[in-house]
Amino acid sequence: MRGDLIEDERPDTNTNRSRNRALLNYVALPMLFLTVVLLGGLRVGTESRTFIFVAPPLVTLLLAVLLVLLLVRGRLIRFHQWIASDLPPLTNVVHIWLLITLFFASAQAFNSVLPERGLLHWLFSFFFLWTLWNNQFSSFDPRRLLRSLAILFGTAFVLKHMLLASLYSPEGGWLKRVAGTLLQGVSLGTLDAPNFAPATGYISFFTLILYIAGLILLAFAGNDESDPVVYPIVGEYRQLPATDGRAVRDGILDDQPEPGARVERQPARRDE
Amino acid sequence: MQSRIIQIAGLALTLAYAVFIVWIYATEPRTFNEVATSAEVATGTYQINQEKFDSALDLFRREQFRAARDEWQRADPAQGDARTQFYIAYSFYREGWGRLYYDQQLFKQGLEAVNRAIALASAGPLIVDDPNLRMHSAAELKAELEQGTERSWNDVNPLKVLRTRK
Repeated sequence: MRGDLIEDERPDTNTNRSRNRALLNYVALPMLFLTVVLLGGLRVGTESRTFIFVAPPLVTLLLAVLLVLLLVRGRLIRFHQWIASDLPPLTNVVHIWLLITLFFASAQAFNSVLPERGLLHWLFSFFFLWTLWNNQFSSFDPRRLLRSLAILFGTAFVLKHMLLASLYSPEGGWLKRVAGTLLQGVSLGTLDAPNFAPATGYISFFTLILYIAGLILLAFAGNDESDPVVYPIVGEYRQLPATDGRAVRDGILDDQPEPGARVERQPARRDE
Repeated sequence: MQSRIIQIAGLALTLAYAVFIVWIYATEPRTFNEVATSAEVATGTYQINQEKFDSALDLFRREQFRAARDEWQRADPAQGDARTQFYIAYSFYREGWGRLYYDQQLFKQGLEAVNRAIALASAGPLIVDDPNLRMHSAAELKAELEQGTERSWNDVNPLKVLRTRK
């Protein structure tokens, strides 16, 4: 009776899953990344409280290229699954479009945490370049890569929107007073940075949260689609009815070796 | 089939959103009001505030040119109406005109405004039928403003004082 119920619900579940996955991949993710593109360059003026739109500087495009390469290397983007000659043309187009939105969202995420001008702009850019270049040669899995990126953007956010904003605020933030005491007589003229209203920090925070959330969703979307080349059996298993699926699961669990047996085998391997 | 529909709908929706973002960055609106005004201009539904325009015209006729310009700018915040821009240019001309010399700054601003008016009336020559004005076409006003900003031997002509303001 219970098995019948599960069997009846199974086609619906599969349909819902594929529908939700399509909505996530083709609507939610591009919209989310485009929102990052919109908000990444948005600042609010200190005095006039008006919007200022800062187009992404050239260096952010370079950083975005490195970041997308890193996402491919970290298997967050499964390029061979997204764009392939055996996929329908529309699917390829939609995936290319998602990649484009991801690229510009990455550029704008950097734009959001980079100081707009001056020496600090170049210092931040250099550190981003250095970190991303080094990461190209590290081994990442999606989870570690996401953690690393969240920390990278989080640190840059704290530096720009909390420390530097405090240092250059016209009212004189706490850091300005500390720096003034420590660096008496030393000019900070070369480290000039424009002032923005505190709302800019909130917008940037929201932008970065959206960007990281988009990457997490991307990772989930990727994990959901098991690689048919490496794991063809997973695809076949998913096609099975509920009762057969349960039988397969039971069979796999029955085949698991006893923990004691594994302990006994280990010395034998050492002897070899 | 359903996945294909979602793909097409998603692509159309996100492309429209992307176009909106590019437009926002190109027009750089400073407030939400400006976003709305720019959207009206883009969709062709933009209209100036007629009440403010009339009140500015009244100020212009009383020779209060700065106040008139302020009102016209409020009446046409998107600078999208050729007639309003023509009047703004005219107010710069009248304020900058002097019997002995012309105010170069005001004439230059007037020239910018009349160029905007000409660009907006690209369908044909801009003619303003106002009996209180002596120049009715934008081309005429532009020529007058350009002459005012150019330096020539005529500037030292003593008969210049006999000229009249248009």
